Amino acid sequence: MTTLLRFRPERLRELSLVAVIAVAVFIFSLLIDNYLGGSFFNRVTTSLAITAVLAAGQTLVILTRNIDLSVGSIVGVTAYVTGEYLHGHPDNAPMLAVAYAIAIGAGLGLLNGTLVAYARVPAIIVTLGTLAIYRTWLINHSDSRTITSDGLPDWVVDLPNSTLFSFGAWDIRTVVAGTVVLILVLQLMLGGLKWGRWVYAVGSNPDAARQAAVPVERVVLGAFVASGALAGLAGFLFLSRFGTITVNAGNGLELQSVAAAVVGGVNIFGGSGTVVGSLLGALLVNLLDLSLLRVPGLSEFWRDAVLGVLILAAVAVDFLVGRRLGRLATRARGRPAAGVPPPTQGAVDA
Amino acid sequence: MHVERRRRGNLWILAAVMVALLFAVAGCGDDDDAPADDGGTSAETGGGGASGPVKFEPGKEFRSVFIPKQTGIAVFDQANQGAKKAASELGVDAARFLGPSSPDACVSGQIDTVTNAATQGVNGVMISNCAGDQIEPAVRQASEAGATVVSWDSPIPSGEGESLFVAQVDFDETGKVMADLALDVLGEEGGEYAILSAAPDAANQNAWIKAHKEAIKDPKYQNLKLVDTVYGNDDSEKSYDEALSLVDKHPNLKLIMAPTTVGIAAAGKAMTDEKLCDKVKVSGLGLPDEMKEYTLSGCAPKFALWSFEDLGYLAFYAAYGIATEQIEAKEGAQFQAGDLGEYTIEKDPTRDNGLRVLMGPFTVYDKSNVEGE
Amino acid sequence: MRDKALQRRWELFLLVVLAAVFCVNVSLSEFYLREQNFINMFQLSIEKLIVVVIMTFVIVNGEIDLSVASVMAFSACVLATLHRDTAVPFELAVVIALAAGVVAGLLQGAFVALMGLPSLVVTLAGLIGFRGAGRILVEDNSIGDFPEWFESLGQEPLVGRFSFALILFAVLIVVAGIVLHRTAFGRSVFVIGNNANVARYSGLNVARDKLLIMTASGFFAGLAGVLFASRLGSVRGDLATGFELDIITIVLLGGVSIFGGSGTMVGVALSILVVLNIRNGLGLGNIDQNTQTGVIGVLLILAVLVPNLVARVARSSQVRRVGEPSPPDHAGGGDTRQREPDLHPTQE
Repeated sequence: MTTLLRFRPERLRELSLVAVIAVAVFIFSLLIDNYLGGSFFNRVTTSLAITAVLAAGQTLVILTRNIDLSVGSIVGVTAYVTGEYLHGHPDNAPMLAVAYAIAIGAGLGLLNGTLVAYARVPAIIVTLGTLAIYRTWLINHSDSRTITSDGLPDWVVDLPNSTLFSFGAWDIRTVVAGTVVLILVLQLMLGGLKWGRWVYAVGSNPDAARQAAVPVERVVLGAFVASGALAGLAGFLFLSRFGTITVNAGNGLELQSVAAAVVGGVNIFGGSGTVVGSLLGALLVNLLDLSLLRVPGLSEFWRDAVLGVLILAAVAVDFLVGRRLGRLATRARGRPAAGVPPPTQGAVDA
Repeated sequence: MHVERRRRGNLWILAAVMVALLFAVAGCGDDDDAPADDGGTSAETGGGGASGPVKFEPGKEFRSVFIPKQTGIAVFDQANQGAKKAASELGVDAARFLGPSSPDACVSGQIDTVTNAATQGVNGVMISNCAGDQIEPAVRQASEAGATVVSWDSPIPSGEGESLFVAQVDFDETGKVMADLALDVLGEEGGEYAILSAAPDAANQNAWIKAHKEAIKDPKYQNLKLVDTVYGNDDSEKSYDEALSLVDKHPNLKLIMAPTTVGIAAAGKAMTDEKLCDKVKVSGLGLPDEMKEYTLSGCAPKFALWSFEDLGYLAFYAAYGIATEQIEAKEGAQFQAGDLGEYTIEKDPTRDNGLRVLMGPFTVYDKSNVEGE
Repeated sequence: MRDKALQRRWELFLLVVLAAVFCVNVSLSEFYLREQNFINMFQLSIEKLIVVVIMTFVIVNGEIDLSVASVMAFSACVLATLHRDTAVPFELAVVIALAAGVVAGLLQGAFVALMGLPSLVVTLAGLIGFRGAGRILVEDNSIGDFPEWFESLGQEPLVGRFSFALILFAVLIVVAGIVLHRTAFGRSVFVIGNNANVARYSGLNVARDKLLIMTASGFFAGLAGVLFASRLGSVRGDLATGFELDIITIVLLGGVSIFGGSGTMVGVALSILVVLNIRNGLGLGNIDQNTQTGVIGVLLILAVLVPNLVARVARSSQVRRVGEPSPPDHAGGGDTRQREPDLHPTQE
């Protein structure tokens, strides 16, 4: 027990997720032929990239005790307009297109953030509203045209397949590697930078944070801009993966991203959770989703029901185990349990 | 206590205002949901021509709505273009193009639109039905209010409430065309194939699939083995994922047949992305624009479709003719649909009840003509 | 607890919006001012409205229920499956379908009230799970062929021009308003929503009340699902998809605070009128449904933004008396009220 306690609780949570994933993979490999073969691994990892990026953005927002329900619409809008941009400028540098998508997403996130942080409108209301508004704009703008993949430059269409290196049949694709690196970088930023500590502080107790001279509004604004930017990136990935973008692109992704974050151990009340956790959560959710599709004899209609049970189980276990561990940890270590990475010795940074 | 009393006072004021509003409305509103008068019903040209196909007189009063399964989808937009063209030829206002904005909202969206149309007293409702039987009560209400309901692309399964179904192709024949496409792509040795459809309750796709399953009973197709049917909901992502799952579940799969333009494009991309085109081909009903690159690359060597624009055009003509009483919706009636030609109303052999007008043939696309569009 | 004055202002704001919408609608279409139109306006969304009433209780109580649309579908699917596959008499099948709704609410309520899990997450799981459960029963099929009496219940008027569901709704909203604002139970709903801990220490049985409300939410969702099935004449697995957003939007627009502890049934009633009139009026004006949704989205944000700005202007121009704390700011958008003492002391 005490060895376990040497880990910080959020690491424990992440490890337990890894364990659950391992168990799931084991069980499915018994049920499904060729499960551990390359093709399924590639399927899961490629579809994971989009969900993981969205889950990371959602995590940032949830950490500040808010929520962003508009990410699905942001993905739709950025995928579509980036597609239009590429149709019109097929020869421009690739990075420009990616930057374009991220910038648009960030702009949409900026609107959300301003309304939440400065106009004091609760996040659920703002993002419910922008969910509808952004989608409405997209449908009106599109004029029923669909973005088709044949107008897109080759590098975009081929991106999902480009592989960095392979372990036998298991490809480590560029997109996947990039996503993982991004998540790790975000994790380090959250853990190491002053800004990261602020995010946790605001989520844990906004009033106390304010009194500690944390610029609460800017932190919240930043979280929403980041969420929007990441959603923009996800929109770009979406475009490159599916090629054909209809006006419904991205419908429903917001709930998926919240589910992934929650399964990944992010506390919906803010103040605790990690982006690596949400990556693992996204992995588990995607894994289950795609695996259930392939179990012979199991009708696809069981998928959602199982997914619902999974989310519930994750949160319940989280809660029960967390409470148990928390009590143990508090007793064993004699100091307040972690949630906010431990402050540096001395003054609170202003 | 003091506050309570004030609050109660406010509550009463609000209640009074609302009641007053209600009375005002009930009082001054017309109590009639009387059938819309299509004025100017000329007495000439009764239906059922022993005198040959009826050529419609333009310019009569005709207000209509054109309802797709979903707005924002290219094929439905094309159909609307056709309807607009017909409207300008007939010298009437174009139909208003209204419909659900997302597949989720399909049922309630179409019901709302049809009901509102009834309230507005339009005399023509042209609908591509995505709500199966659930649209029936609304459609019945509309036709009781005097509107002519004509379905196109996807009928009302029971035929209740609609005057006519404008079929793009014969639904039974669609099944056979799908079988022929499969035979063509898989060759004499045949093999395993699966169907990737649209929404599980889409009347047209379900009818085609049913007809297809009947068609492949013919010994000509004996080597074709249909192993699975999955639903992509006309959603690119879902269709993409389902296409991949088909391949994973059935390792010997050689063809994905998708009788839906969204599904076939998604399947084409999925196979191309995973570099499976050599092993698994894609066919079905697709738009040349969206399928061009897959046909040229050999992934989707052959597929079929019809002209949605012509379909909308024909539906508009038919609705106009029936609504303005220049033709009756009964078996044997014939009419001229602008420059598309002459059409006869017949009993729909693919449903238990209902009449239909059959538009025309398929166009089969392959490398030679896919770029021509 | 929100300022009473703010609440009053909100209702006034809604009344003004309603009047504006009314005028716009009258000018947009000559068909608006017809009795049949007003009745249609309600009847086309009646199932949602029934759930709106109970959702008001849920949100005032400090929780949220995202699963209502899925429970609607689940109950409808239970009804349809019993009807098609078993010899259970239809009346009994209806009762069982309603019971299914109760079970759904009870189950989720247990996790929220007894285990203390956040309702957002539990009902998110419910949203996905119960829709899936319905799908398992109904699969791809559309099940219909309900008995005459059932279908005419949903499709034909019962009294005058009003359908059964409409009459039920009218009664329900009045009763609910009385319960919420005039009974002890209603008061406890507010207190719990405002601060569950304080409520608990004052002797209220918080867990029981939350459980009761969540169960009621499931029941009414089930009832709405059954009524929807009767109006449509058949049931599919994707029945009522996406309704929860509309329902929650209407409640929030009605001035009910998302954090719980304040709101009025009158406000919700006004919000219902506003949203219905917007949808109906724009629909008659042949403005597409997509734009309608966008308009409602804008309205939702304005409904909170405008009073906020007004309050801030008022506050900054107010002379603050000594010792009076400044009113709480929803800093960072999050809820700054006292949270429950942490049930997971190890914040991960």
